[in-house]
Amino acid sequence: MAKDRAQRDDYTTPLRRLFTGIVVLCLLGIFLVWRIDSPRVERFRAQVVDAVVPSMDWAMVPVTAAVNLVRDFQSYQRLSEQNRELRSELRRMRAWKEAALQLEQENARLLDLNNVRLDPRLTYITGVVMADSGSPFRQSVLLNVGERDGIVDGWATMDGIGLVGRISGVGPDTARVILLTDASSAIPATIQPSGQTALIQGDNTPAPVVEFLENRELVRPGDRVVTSGDGGVFPAGLLIGQIAEDPSGRLRVRLSADFERLEFLRVLRYHAADPIRDPGGLVGPKRPEALLLPDDEAADG
Amino acid sequence: MDRAASRLWMMRGLYLALGMLVMFFHLLPLDTRPDRWPFPELLIALTFAWVLRRPDDVPTLSVAFVMLMEDLLLQRPPGLLAALVVMGASYLRSAGPGMRDMGFLAEWTSVGAVIAAVFLSNRIVLGLLSVEQGPLAPVLVQAALTVLTYPLVVLFCQATLGVRRPSAIDPTIRGGQV
Repeated sequence: MAKDRAQRDDYTTPLRRLFTGIVVLCLLGIFLVWRIDSPRVERFRAQVVDAVVPSMDWAMVPVTAAVNLVRDFQSYQRLSEQNRELRSELRRMRAWKEAALQLEQENARLLDLNNVRLDPRLTYITGVVMADSGSPFRQSVLLNVGERDGIVDGWATMDGIGLVGRISGVGPDTARVILLTDASSAIPATIQPSGQTALIQGDNTPAPVVEFLENRELVRPGDRVVTSGDGGVFPAGLLIGQIAEDPSGRLRVRLSADFERLEFLRVLRYHAADPIRDPGGLVGPKRPEALLLPDDEAADG
Repeated sequence: MDRAASRLWMMRGLYLALGMLVMFFHLLPLDTRPDRWPFPELLIALTFAWVLRRPDDVPTLSVAFVMLMEDLLLQRPPGLLAALVVMGASYLRSAGPGMRDMGFLAEWTSVGAVIAAVFLSNRIVLGLLSVEQGPLAPVLVQAALTVLTYPLVVLFCQATLGVRRPSAIDPTIRGGQV
């Protein structure tokens, strides 16, 4: 019996080695193709995700809901404390609400005076976060809207308040949002009120770093950070967050969007303004061609 | 023979199902902030533990499939880590019979070395091909955590799944039936 087994092993081992080699080569081939022609493989990835993740949805929704329920239950224990906090916050909010209402009226009056038209094309599609498909080193979520809903790569994504990320990878029914916290995310931004421009660069921490700032002296913790619209990918003026300083003295952005629980996200439909290419013609009445020709001949003769 | 065969296919299915389960928990949208601590690569530890115990249950093709799916779903460069894990698993597959009598500590050491090699060569290849990468420290922490959780994974395999090294009289493996 032992001899028989040994013989079988002798026979199968080289075959198995060969097979393993082929599998490894195939996998490395996929990797190399990805390195060379990344968009095509990323499209394939979007297709796979689109096929797999929605089929997990039936289980994901109840599990997520159950875990959140337990978390909410834990927070009930601090109910009275939270109540007090909320009440004081509410009082402050009332003051802000008054201020906001007055400003809104003033703003409407001024807009009316100037006859300003806001861009009507900046509408949005709301999607639900289906899955948090980030590994420890990639921060992204999947939305349940995709190509079918007209989503296009590069569009900005917000929650109710602040910018969350941009669309990168669209399947028929799903779209991936690369979050601002991802290491590959860099957003051109303006810091108010100084008007300094900078790049908001994610680095896998909850607060992205402010890079390429021209004059640091003008920026203080607490300043608002909004998108600048440079590069034509994002519309200008979307709220990103507030400046904060970390212990080592680097400037970071405390994000306004609630990254702890991303649930409903707005994808902003945005078509960048058409760039101006030609230098522009002469201003004046157009002369008909027929009249030009005899003139030229006369000049030649 | 029938019982052995049905057990074999059941365990193969179980491996795929466990792979899907781990990915499922990775995908749950519970907390979308970046993690403070990277999570250990449970699937790699599970694969290696299983390959050392019942190599027939985890054929190369299922290892490749599960790891490639993980690469695709978790936004990693597709194929590279999968290829490295398949290579590591096939090394352990051939080294497994020799390791049988050496005790758990020796097994843990060699599996730790393979895991370290997998993470390190992943990092090196990505660096050589100048793929954009995150900082090094979380990767090291992740590799260390994976090695540290390996005994727990082994315990889980043996106690819950019943994946043990086959003994000579075990009737459920094919070798004993000839």
